[in-house]
Order: sequence, then structure tokens, then C-alpha cells
Amino acid sequence: MTPLEATFRAAGGRVVSALAARFRDLDLAEEVFADACLKAARDWVDGPPADPAAWLYAVARRAALDRLRRRRTAAAHRPDEPAPTPTPEDHAMSLDEPIPDERLRLIFVCCHPAVATEARAALTLRAVCGLTTAEIAAAFLVPEATLAQRLVRARRKIAAAGVPFEVPASDRWPERMDAVLSTLEIAYAEAHADAALAGPHADFAREMLALSALLARLAPTDAEAQALAATIHLAEARRPARLDDAGAMVPLAAQDAREWDAALLRQGEAFLAASAAMARSGSPGPRALQAAIHAAHASRRQAGETPWRDILRLYDALLTLRDDPVIRTNRAVALSEVEGPATALLQLDAAAARGWLPFHVARAELLARLGRMTEAAAEYEAALALGPSRAEALFLERRRAASVAA
Amino acid sequence: MQYALIIYENEAESYPDGEQGEAWRAVLAAHEAFAGDLHERGLLRGGSGLRHSDTATTVRVTGAGRTVHDGPFAETREQLGGFYLIEAADLDEAIAWAKKLPVAANASIEIRPCLDMPQPGQD
Repeated sequence: MTPLEATFRAAGGRVVSALAARFRDLDLAEEVFADACLKAARDWVDGPPADPAAWLYAVARRAALDRLRRRRTAAAHRPDEPAPTPTPEDHAMSLDEPIPDERLRLIFVCCHPAVATEARAALTLRAVCGLTTAEIAAAFLVPEATLAQRLVRARRKIAAAGVPFEVPASDRWPERMDAVLSTLEIAYAEAHADAALAGPHADFAREMLALSALLARLAPTDAEAQALAATIHLAEARRPARLDDAGAMVPLAAQDAREWDAALLRQGEAFLAASAAMARSGSPGPRALQAAIHAAHASRRQAGETPWRDILRLYDALLTLRDDPVIRTNRAVALSEVEGPATALLQLDAAAARGWLPFHVARAELLARLGRMTEAAAEYEAALALGPSRAEALFLERRRAASVAA
Repeated sequence: MQYALIIYENEAESYPDGEQGEAWRAVLAAHEAFAGDLHERGLLRGGSGLRHSDTATTVRVTGAGRTVHDGPFAETREQLGGFYLIEAADLDEAIAWAKKLPVAANASIEIRPCLDMPQPGQD
């Protein structure tokens, strides 16, 4: 990224959000922001102005007003009217006018339940974080043309269906915030699944950290928003320990806790504390429990051992809120540390998450611990057949070879 | 903005005794109350309940011309049962009304923004 592109990226989210909120038109906001960036590339010959965002906002806003005026003129069937003279409002626009922070509003728009699920995260990353279509397509492993098409369709739906450019009122807040948080969860899962973090996912994981922290700051009283930021920070903190020297994945329990990122752990714990402070009215939500599980794993860094009994209790509580095969699989892993692999294997088989990679890995590990090596080898084989990342494949091949040799 | 709230219900499951049944009478009474609520707030622009889909007739338009057929346009699990035209500030308000709309059992309510078209006789 050139310094100029970095400046545009840094300013983009706030500028596009402010424009979109003012004109209630996401398409227009992105178009005129692109216009302003083009103009900046020509005009900033001696380097960017003191406040590049304010400059871009003022120029983009003027461009938007121009376009709207032209559209109105066209609609009134007067195609050849000369360009209008600047209005007093244009003159009044000064470069040091503060840009309103409308990013929360825009996040709610992009993640509205009426927007296609597969477009929500992409739309948010594009409009709020300023990622390019090419970058987002690479992160989600879809062709760029497909992603561009999804974004166009989603923007058109938002405009035509009348999705409100408002922060939802308190009675609609929980449902709408849930849609936002699930969108970010799914997007982050894409980034986290890649242990090696090679290529496009490197920037993507950083963007997810920034976006979750931004959301937590913009919605300071929402316990689940704080909790999601906690989870993402705590999980990302483990990133440096997730690969060994050969590039193979290191499972959580085998990671060297000293390699975890202390600063990210501290931030994650601060978000978790904020979540707990906000949840005083009721019991913790599913994301708060998930964050607490990550924090319990993180506590190994100080305590020297993992509090498996606490983790098991947290999974039990989580199961009462969200009973799905993924959580049952993870719970079975915790159970194996408390009650041994035989009990855990029974529970795991009841989870029935066949076809989901971590299920087969967990099952293979339990079988190996029980000394059932032939079955373990077959289960590693099943996991490998699901097309794991390179880092996971290296780990699984090593484990399979060990179980065949035993 | 104007929205259409379009109601799809499984007639056989929702109204086992057809238009003579208790379920039918009950849902009509609920619709009267719902429409009354919309009307009082000045948000009702139109709409109607529809008779059972076995009363439907379809004109099919193809390159060969226009032909008349017995039955609804498509045989589906759920049938079009009626629609409301309402005024709402935005999609969230329309969704809130759709969530309150009375139905007898499982149903879908499709929300569609209306085209902005000049009304005949109003200029």
C-alpha cells in the first residue's frame, strides 16, 4: 500500500459512513469518496493536508450535492441546464468542520437482517473498514467478480427496500446487534481458521481486530459487543504460537504460552471485564461465555495449567444457550481433560458433527489416547480428506504417521 | 414509503375446515383488529384478504397468446392469502407490522417496497 492509499484507507471508514448517513445512500457515498480520492491524488502534490479526512469529506460532500442536483435536474426533464452556481451552503462548508462519527449507524445498515447473509460482512469491511473488493474477495476465497456482484445487489436492496440509516431503538437493539455480532463472528472464523495466516488473511485478521474494537467502543453498553471484541483479541493473541518451525499447526493445549501476545491478551481481558460489568442485569450471553472460555485458556500463561473444570462449566452454561454440534465437540474435548478420553468419546459421538474438521481431529486424538491406533489413523485420514489448510495438514499427517507406527 | 405485506399460508394446515371453520372466523376477526390499528394511525393504504386458492383462475401469457387455466399461478406448499398496503417510515417499521400480522399457523409474510407510480385521477 502506498502512503497515499494508507491515508485514504485510514480516512475512508469515517468519511464514507458520514456521507452515507447524511445522504442515506451507500452507493453515492462510496462513489463520491472515490471521486475525492482521485482529486486528492492530483491535488496533494506537496503531500496530504493537515487533516486529510476533513479535506476528503468536504470534497466528497460537495460532489454528492452536485450529483444529487444533477439527478433532480434530469428527473425534471431539463437535460441541458448549465452547472448550478455554488449555493451559500457550499461556501459555508469549511475544511475544519468536524466529521460526525456515523460508523455505528453504517455497521447496523450493512448487517441488517434484510441484507443477504453472505454480503453483510463484505459490505461492512468495504464501507466501514475501506477494504478493496479484491482484498475482501481474497479473504473469503470467492472470485472478485462474484463478490462485486454481491455488493452491488446488497446496496441496491438497502436503497430500494428502505433499510433505515438509524441506530436501532432499544426494543429492536438486541435483535439487530445480534445480526451484527453474528456477521463479525462468521467473518472472523474465516480469518482464524488460517493458522499460518499467509497471504490475504494476514491483513484480514488485523481488520477484524480493529473492527471488533471499534464496535465495542461505539456500543459501550452492549455486553455482547464487548464480549466479541474480547474473544477476537484473546484468540488473536495466540497467533504467534499456532505454528511450529516446520510450519505445522500447534494445537492450543500444546502451545507455548510465553509466545502469546501479552498486549492483545490484556486488551482482550479488558473487553471481557467491560462485558461482565455491563451484564449485571442478567446472566452472561453466549458471546460472554465464549470469551470467558478463551480467557480461561489464556490464564495458563500465569497459572501454568489450564483450568479445565472451569472451562467445562462454561461449556455447560453455553450449551443451555446454544446447543449445536460445534459447542458439543469443544465440550467433549474439555471433558476428556476432566473425566478422561473414554467418557469424552461417548459424548463426542453424540455430538454428531461429522464432516466438520475439528470433530474428526478431536475424535482422532481421543482414540489415540485410548490406544485405539488403527481407528485413530482412519480418523486422521478422514480429517485430511476434508481439505485442511497446509499447517493443519502437516500436523495431521504427522499425527497419522505416529498412530500408524505405534 | 409504501410497502405491501403479502401473506402466504398453508391453507390446508391453517384452515382445515375452509371458510366455514373456526380458524377462519378467528383469523378474520384478528385481521379486523389489525387493520383497525393501522387505520387509526393513518397507515392503511389498501389491501384485501383473498378467497381460498381453489377459487383462483390464471391467465397464462406465452408467445402463443393468452390462455385461461383453473387454479393459482403455481402449486406451492403455501398459498397467497391476502395482502396489506401500508405506509411505513422504513423497512424496520414495516418489519414490526409484519411481525404483528395475524396468522392461523405457520406462515410467511413477504415485505415488498411499492413502486412510486402516479395514481390515476390524482394529479
